[in-house]
Amino acid sequence: MRFSRSLPAVLALALLASSFPAPPARGADSGPIKIAVITDMSGVYAALAGPGAIEATKMAVEDFGGKVLGRPIEVLTIDHRNNGPDAAIKAREAYDGGADLALDMTNSAVALAVAAVAKEKKKLAIVTGGASSALTGANCNRYTYHYAYDTYALAASTGANVAAQSNGKTWYAIVPNYAFGTAMLADFTAAIERKGGKMQKADLYPFGSTTDFSSYLLSAKNSGAQVLGLFNAGLDTTNSMKQAKQFGVDKVMKIAVGLLFLTDVDALPDVYAGSRITTSWYWNYNSESRKWADKYAKRMHGLRPSDIQAADYSAATQWLDAVKAVGTTDADKIQQYLDNRQFNDFYAKGGEWRGRDHRVIHEMYVVDVLPKEQVKEPHAWFKVVQVIPPGRAFRPESASTCKKDW
Amino acid sequence: MTAALFGTRRGAIVAAVLLLIALALPKLVYPVLAIDIIAYGLFAVAFDLLLGFTGLLSFGHAMFWGGAGYVATILIAKANVPFPLAVILAIAYAAVLALIVGAIAIRRQGIYFAMITLALAQLQYFFAYQLGGWTGGENGVQLSSRGTLFGIALENDIAFYYAVLAVAALGTYLVVRVVRSPFGAVLGAMRENEQRAIALGFRVDRYKLIAFVMSGTLAGVAGVLFAVGNRLSGLDGVDWHTSGKVVMMSILGGIGTVFGPIAGAGIFESLDFFVSKTAIGDKTNIVMGTIFALCVLLFRRGIIGELLADRTKRAKT
Amino acid sequence: MALGLSVIFGMLRIVNFAHGAMFMLGAFVAYYGFQLVHMPFYAAIIVAPLIVAAFGLAIEVLFLRRLYRLDPLYGLLFTFALVLIIEDSMRLVAGSVGSPYETPAGLDFAVNIGFALFPAYRLFAIGFAMVVCLVVWLILERTPLGARIRAATEAPVLVRALGIDTQLLVSLTFAAGVALAALGGVLAAPIQNVEPTMGDKIIINTFAIVVIGGLGSIGGSVITGFALGLLQTLGAVIFPAFNDTLIFMLMIIVLLIRPSGLFGAPASAK
Repeated sequence: MRFSRSLPAVLALALLASSFPAPPARGADSGPIKIAVITDMSGVYAALAGPGAIEATKMAVEDFGGKVLGRPIEVLTIDHRNNGPDAAIKAREAYDGGADLALDMTNSAVALAVAAVAKEKKKLAIVTGGASSALTGANCNRYTYHYAYDTYALAASTGANVAAQSNGKTWYAIVPNYAFGTAMLADFTAAIERKGGKMQKADLYPFGSTTDFSSYLLSAKNSGAQVLGLFNAGLDTTNSMKQAKQFGVDKVMKIAVGLLFLTDVDALPDVYAGSRITTSWYWNYNSESRKWADKYAKRMHGLRPSDIQAADYSAATQWLDAVKAVGTTDADKIQQYLDNRQFNDFYAKGGEWRGRDHRVIHEMYVVDVLPKEQVKEPHAWFKVVQVIPPGRAFRPESASTCKKDW
Repeated sequence: MTAALFGTRRGAIVAAVLLLIALALPKLVYPVLAIDIIAYGLFAVAFDLLLGFTGLLSFGHAMFWGGAGYVATILIAKANVPFPLAVILAIAYAAVLALIVGAIAIRRQGIYFAMITLALAQLQYFFAYQLGGWTGGENGVQLSSRGTLFGIALENDIAFYYAVLAVAALGTYLVVRVVRSPFGAVLGAMRENEQRAIALGFRVDRYKLIAFVMSGTLAGVAGVLFAVGNRLSGLDGVDWHTSGKVVMMSILGGIGTVFGPIAGAGIFESLDFFVSKTAIGDKTNIVMGTIFALCVLLFRRGIIGELLADRTKRAKT
Repeated sequence: MALGLSVIFGMLRIVNFAHGAMFMLGAFVAYYGFQLVHMPFYAAIIVAPLIVAAFGLAIEVLFLRRLYRLDPLYGLLFTFALVLIIEDSMRLVAGSVGSPYETPAGLDFAVNIGFALFPAYRLFAIGFAMVVCLVVWLILERTPLGARIRAATEAPVLVRALGIDTQLLVSLTFAAGVALAALGGVLAAPIQNVEPTMGDKIIINTFAIVVIGGLGSIGGSVITGFALGLLQTLGAVIFPAFNDTLIFMLMIIVLLIRPSGLFGAPASAK
């Protein structure tokens, strides 16, 4: 009796003992060069980054020849579980274990947390997935670059594009009341007003508990505004878009969505058809992008890459080029080399590592999500309606709030 | 009914073993993880003061943990308040919050108490969300450094770990003292039979409130350690899942044993960390939930509780 | 609207964290029913609650029953563990992102209700939820079975002494509660996305309703639920930023004035 009662406890203690691994090895200047891809392997962002981001980074390493400075290149997979502290601790461990670059960081909280670790450890971080423009604003630092897109670029591009048309002047926005949403609202409003449009009304809804958008949608529909702005992301966008169609809002208003990825549309093509968004890259845009997407699709069971996954490949390649050119992985020297450097590749057109705030600028693309009957092949959901040049897509240097620490 | 503390030789052995593990921990696991484990350990001890020794199940303890973490990081990062002052203010915040929440929550018992603390914690959670200008909303607050304490920089993870360990040991010692004091005896009497305690003339609500404030304050201390250790605070710190986590840690380790919850936190955090690196990925809750469910069904005294419960077969539920 | 559904959960006297998970499972059964065997919505509305109720019954018989003789807090804790396991298992099976569930045929049009067009499905869901509430309330308050259930949950020993199988009653009540949660999930499926955390969003509000309404009065729960639903809809218009906190503020006020809840008459009054 007593034995059987304490057995589980003993087992659990044994479990405890076995769950402590050997201490992590210290990094060294010899041995492999490590790129830590910190991404969401199985959560809500797994499709748009996740395993695809790992694969894209591996492709970059292979295409580079698998070696730099005579040392093999290794890609580490780190699952951040969409949790800031979790990501920070794993990033620290990776840097201490010899990683020289942290890549991806899809999820703004994670990106900001890892950026802080990069600064502390004096190692580079290139954010492709995180959206927050604070990364190149209030939270900018010497060791962090923001590579693919940010909330400002999305809002400025989509907002300017739609408001430039005569039937896109008056807006009604439905906005989640949290940092991402309010940042989007401010940036969209500014972009619309620059084109002579007007933000007629913005409904802030409580984030996290709102699944029913009917009251907001009805009032939007009755407002007489020409454009409905859904400045949300993920599940909220899905739910609000779905309900907008149930209420027939898409029949009387244009719908502009704040943040939407190709892979979101993969999951629900019918729901998103008819909306207008901005993306940093689209696989079916030209022959160059398509060529890379074909290579990716071969390795990923026919899936097409999101712009984040393409950005991971591009950023990893650019960094490896820099390492080769400078002859070291030393973050300070790489940073000096990269700042203000201009480049072009299959992903970034007119690219520049802006030295002022570490924003990497390049062309952005305003696209329409096509209705089903116009989609010619699987995943070819988008049609590019406008190319936004680098200078206009991103926050101008003159308006930067980054206090340089380098 | 707190004999299982140091009272038995086994208790002393368990305490010694735990202390040895704690001293060696940064060598065993990644140092920042070790900091997390100890911070959670102290959090669980604080929680156990309430559940194990007072019989109140709070399902909102994350509000003190995460709330104090927010206050500390916000004061340091946004208001440039000196480090020691920020920490003191953060702990004071937890204490005041505990006083207010406690005053409301102790009006009900049992499951209602749990639900009220949960709901009040959600209230703070929503404020943390809405006041994005201060809390950074879903992005959280980041610190660029850990600051200094008595002129010593806390950047070194190992050094910081031992500072955390010292604070946690002090906190645990305080709890031991409280529990073994006459005050603790009254708490125990209340837990066993509230009516009798009232009949004996104790002002039960006052005792409960004091215990609640002590527990909340200590949880705040732990939360500050965690936030400063990780240099960030975010919404997951005040989320109800974190409240649930500390409940699981405490019960897994063994409520009413003081040291049990520390062991529970260690097992929980390290297991969670390593399981998350396997194929299960971010679905660690399948494993953690199963372990906890088994714990509730089969060994409710928790791991340390089972080890201690040799002769004293208490009929404790 | 979502609250109108959550009222259903608050009514049964079992405090169950897993109700949110059962809500989610109901939606998923409907979803997979459609994907795998093209089960129409009108069938799902009956089948899904039954399947989930069977699952709930199994959990009750296998696990929860062992915990009844203990402090009810252990039941609460066990259901919390269940939430973690079920949610993450569903994330493993179905992914985190969620899937759409089509509006049922025959209800995918909009009705003009005077000032605006309103989707017919929503009217159906609201009406259906109200009918279910009414039926459950009638069963519990006006039938001998209901009387036994109430008695069995309040004074099991006494009822057992009268020769009634309380174990069976409790199990059935639990299963019925789970079925209602699952029904809520099915009704919500065409409005929201079907995804593993959909239950999380309602469970805490449900708790607050139970506290505000007080136990012992099912009518009280229903009224509180609808009143709060209304309040939140209005609050969304008046001060959206703090709409979420309204319900908790109200809860604090109620607790300060009437610790036993608005409709929670003292134990002896009924």
